Amino acid sequence: MNAASWGWLVLLFPLLGSVLIGATFRVLPARTAGLIGIGAIVAAFVCGIAAVVSLQGEPAESRHVTDSLWQYASVGGLSIDLGIYVDPLSLFMVLVVTGVSSLIHIYSYSYMKSDAGYHRFFSYLNFFVFSMLLLVLAGNYVLLIVGWAFVGFASYALISFWYRRETATRAGMKAFVINVVGDIGLVLAAILIFRELGVIDYGAVFEKAPEVFTTTNEWTAVAICLLLLVGAFAKSAQMPFHTWLADAMEGPTPVSSLIHAATMVTAGVYLVGRSYPLFELAPAAADVAAIVGLVTLLVAGTIAIVVTDLKRIIAYSTMSQIGYMFVAVGIGAYSAGFFHLMTHAFFKALLFMAAGSVIAAMANIQNIDRMKGFYRAMPFTAAMLIIGALALSGFPGTSGWFSKDEIIDFASFRGGWYEIFAIGGYIGAFMTAIYSFRIIFRILPGPPCEEAAHLIETGHVVHGEPVNPATGEKEDVEVGYPGEDHHIAEQATGMKIGMSVLGFLALVGGLVQIPGVTEVITHFLEPTFEDSPLAAMHPSVSEAWKGLAKGAVISVVGIAFTWWLYIGRPSVPETLRRTFRPVYTLFVNKWYGDQIIDFLIVRPVKGLGRFADRVFEPFVINGLTGGTIAIVRSAGGAVRDLQSGMLRSYALLMAVGTVAILLYLLIRSL
Amino acid sequence: MLSAILWTPLVFGLISLLVPRRFAAWAAGAGTVVTLILATIVAIGFDPSGGLQYVVDVTWIPGLGINYSLGIDGISVFLVLLTAIAWVPAVAFTASRGTDRAGLFYFMLLVGQTATLGAFLAQDLLLFVLFFDLMIVPFYFLFGIWGSDRDGVTASSATVKMIVFTLIGSLLMLVGAVAVGVISADGGQLTFNMADLAEAGLPSGSQNWIFWFFAAAFLLKMPAFPLLGWMPDAYRVAPLPALAVFSAVLSKVGAYGFLRVVLPIMPDATELFQTTMLIIALASIIYGSVMAFTKLDLRLILGFSSVAQLGFITLGIFALDSTGANGALLQMINHGLVVVPAFLIVALIAERTGSEEIGPMGGLAKNAPVFAVIFLIVTMATLAIPGSANFIGEFYILNGVFNTDVAIAIIASSGVALAAFYALRMFQRTMHNPLPEGADSREISLRDGLMIVPIVLIMIVLAFCPQIILGDTADSVDATVAISKEAAQ
Amino acid sequence: MAIEWYLVLSAMLFSIGLAGVLIRRNPVVILLCLELMLSGGALAMLAFSRLHGDGDGQVFVLMVLVVAASEVVVGLGLVVAMFRRRIPLDVDEMKELRG
Repeated sequence: MNAASWGWLVLLFPLLGSVLIGATFRVLPARTAGLIGIGAIVAAFVCGIAAVVSLQGEPAESRHVTDSLWQYASVGGLSIDLGIYVDPLSLFMVLVVTGVSSLIHIYSYSYMKSDAGYHRFFSYLNFFVFSMLLLVLAGNYVLLIVGWAFVGFASYALISFWYRRETATRAGMKAFVINVVGDIGLVLAAILIFRELGVIDYGAVFEKAPEVFTTTNEWTAVAICLLLLVGAFAKSAQMPFHTWLADAMEGPTPVSSLIHAATMVTAGVYLVGRSYPLFELAPAAADVAAIVGLVTLLVAGTIAIVVTDLKRIIAYSTMSQIGYMFVAVGIGAYSAGFFHLMTHAFFKALLFMAAGSVIAAMANIQNIDRMKGFYRAMPFTAAMLIIGALALSGFPGTSGWFSKDEIIDFASFRGGWYEIFAIGGYIGAFMTAIYSFRIIFRILPGPPCEEAAHLIETGHVVHGEPVNPATGEKEDVEVGYPGEDHHIAEQATGMKIGMSVLGFLALVGGLVQIPGVTEVITHFLEPTFEDSPLAAMHPSVSEAWKGLAKGAVISVVGIAFTWWLYIGRPSVPETLRRTFRPVYTLFVNKWYGDQIIDFLIVRPVKGLGRFADRVFEPFVINGLTGGTIAIVRSAGGAVRDLQSGMLRSYALLMAVGTVAILLYLLIRSL
Repeated sequence: MLSAILWTPLVFGLISLLVPRRFAAWAAGAGTVVTLILATIVAIGFDPSGGLQYVVDVTWIPGLGINYSLGIDGISVFLVLLTAIAWVPAVAFTASRGTDRAGLFYFMLLVGQTATLGAFLAQDLLLFVLFFDLMIVPFYFLFGIWGSDRDGVTASSATVKMIVFTLIGSLLMLVGAVAVGVISADGGQLTFNMADLAEAGLPSGSQNWIFWFFAAAFLLKMPAFPLLGWMPDAYRVAPLPALAVFSAVLSKVGAYGFLRVVLPIMPDATELFQTTMLIIALASIIYGSVMAFTKLDLRLILGFSSVAQLGFITLGIFALDSTGANGALLQMINHGLVVVPAFLIVALIAERTGSEEIGPMGGLAKNAPVFAVIFLIVTMATLAIPGSANFIGEFYILNGVFNTDVAIAIIASSGVALAAFYALRMFQRTMHNPLPEGADSREISLRDGLMIVPIVLIMIVLAFCPQIILGDTADSVDATVAISKEAAQ
Repeated sequence: MAIEWYLVLSAMLFSIGLAGVLIRRNPVVILLCLELMLSGGALAMLAFSRLHGDGDGQVFVLMVLVVAASEVVVGLGLVVAMFRRRIPLDVDEMKELRG
């Protein structure tokens, strides 16, 4: 079997799993559904590995396979195949997605144990994985859009998974609509690509693009790339399309872990990497990607430092880390960007899982101000949190250290004005250290809070009243909300397996890409980026190590500073907050992103709607209608008066009419 | 064969009028099923590259050159099939709920089907006009007699509004049709055969005014902005099964008319007024979308969303581009398939909550996961999520418009985002959020499922391969569009 | 004899009948006057038939006579029915067709 056949199998298993669980939800025992879900993803992972093996058997220059099932649609020369494109990049994504998904499925198997919507959860989750795989394996831009929209839909369905919560449904709507805006960007990009190049399949597009766009920064090429970026930013929660991600934390924690940290939100990075031949023809657009990435990474970092909702801190950190990836693919550090994508998937999924464990123990309270002393209450989770935070902040030796600093190195290596990406990257890294260890120092040490104490004493988590963490309202537990028997914490085996494997990967995952030693990722992805002059550039090994040393210093100093801030001098944060009140207000209100979008887009559209409804409809449309009706009615009225019912007046009219006609004929004949 | 399809509903309608009441529904149901079988046979035997097929051509009124001339080509084949499909659940749904004066109801419904099929099958311009006018008559009675009064609008006032409007359009079209025949005969033998008329070619001066006579009729029927004044009232009073077919199929006759009559017979005027029509279509999209998300009444949300969708379809047709027009035709079928289950779902929701306003609703998914999933699929198709056939329709339409006018394409694409909002809002406010007091979250019954699920399955099959439709339609549509393109040169 | 005299007579008969129909209100009289109008028309047709020397006019006259007879039958029947139901015999009172 060749790589493409394995690729189809990768797609098939999650889809089958989703349909099977969905179709048999009435008869299938819940645990079996979970096992089917896990099995489908693991099978996809195995097929992914088989595809890699099969593809590595080929010589480097022919390591891309396309295959098409049937013609999806073809009219007027615009022909779309239901085809996949298998090359190192797509398989890399397949492995990351299926690998992390498998672990998160195993985690969810335990975590969602008491949820009434168990089948639904696994059906959606498998569908999500299918969509994500479709996105990365798609062989043309239209199929990419299909996968793109399907992950958006799956994300919507899982954000509003607890659909009796109005906050959840509202968040789902927001995510979906913003993602549709992104989809439109992609649609227009695909149309423009077809108009300029006459093809839509990846291979053909990348082949023809250099022939058509002969000079750099031709405006159509820039327009295509900017439209692609609209889609990428919307999906990856980059500014100004970032507001949905924090609200998306309304979904169950495994969902946040899988979709809103490890996989879906990195789709934008994949898109830019996939379309690198276009972006290299339009460097201006690539710079836009990098700049937006930089801005997002800084802004999100500042927000993550001040918010107090545990999941939201991690969500803003995700935005920030994806900012790094955009910087990477924008400046041409492709393999570094995808390396960071992979390590980020490990440590961010881990952090969310550990956070989920803590939140479950807190009876769904997510405010870190309330959490204390979990080091003693949940040692395993605490260890995982620390590993995740270390990797996230780039502590020397961890996976995040290798990946993040490789991006920053490349920026300073390119030199010129790209230097600002390096500087911004270091500032971001410092903030990363602060916010990740803020979590650690706030919730792990100290005297145990009420819930943690309960856990230490009884060995069971608190069964609090189920409340909505966003509003504090009492929750309706009948449908799909963890009920009173929801007392999983770190004791559950599934959760432990998921976390420990990821913890291991987060610690040592960086070893595959040690500068000058292993560099597995770079070599693996080389065939995909073989035509790129940027990918061929490398900082020398010594420069790379110098960069890593700088990163190590920043990370350690940042952690020490945070320790001083929260453990050494606990009064300092409050003082800082008071001294820089305007800045704090700006940060804690997320730079007013929601309000700005509300003001610029939501309100005008609503106003237009109100205008149409209150003014236009009654006056213009109904005026038009009413006017027509009035004319018809008055014309009818005029005729009606003749219908007197008087027989003799009818006869007279007839006689007069006849005479008139006769007279007319007479006069004419004269 | 086509005559059989055409008259079967009428015959069975007469039978259901005459047989005892308890058999009326069976007779009507049998009629729709037989029609569906016949239409399926025709669609399967259809040859994509064969041009006009199954032609019936009998002289009817020789003095006026009017023939009883039927035929089917790529443009009409799936619309005929759609008509045949749409009526089955409408009759089945009414039968399952019962209705007063059942015989008469089914008779009217089936007369409506014959007239609609006639409009799609007619190859003679006056025959087309005849069926086009005949269509509205049974619906006048259906809405007027079986409709229900709402706040501020009675069934009779709404139907009067509707009939006055559509009759004005019909009269204009009749004048236009006669003018087309007389002018192109130019003193010679009159003919109303559409192919001959297209061949003969009208002087462009006459085309320019006749174009608007036809356009007015078709835009009214859709309805398009700003001629949609009759729509909200009519939609609010109408009985839902009748409204389902009305919205699914009759509105398409207007768009079909553009493809069948206006583009081939008036190519110069089409080319001349292309931008105007594109702007009307664009206005329909924006207006329909914006209104759809201010309204709370489910019928009106669907009604205004239809306005927006028909706007997209018009946009595709007047892109005068192969991809645009094919996308428009695909979208006509997709939208028809979406609307029928959507309105039946509205009826089911109304049975569960006693209301058709989404304001106080919510939470219906609680005990009804299957029902929720069906509605979710319909919602996703309505907002044309990529991966549905609706998306391919919109994609081709936008591609066609993009080739014609970039600015209009970009503005029109904002309609997609608005559609996502109003369609999802409709789903969320009914199925999600807390369940209010008094609402009954009940699973869809097997009987109702059998009416809705087959159409949903068709939607899913088309989502996997829209080429099933595009492959059959492309040749005919391309030929039609080519006429206008030649005129442009 | 010249045809004019016949036509004059026919016109006079017709006019008298028409005047009667318009002026009188009693349905019986109106019916009588209608008969006069029909006779006027019939006479004209006979005259023309004679003038042209073919039978068409006479055929028409036969038709007219048949129609007139049936009309009287129906008309008088209605009048009798009205009389029986004590409806006043006045055409101006009967205006239920008023729009």
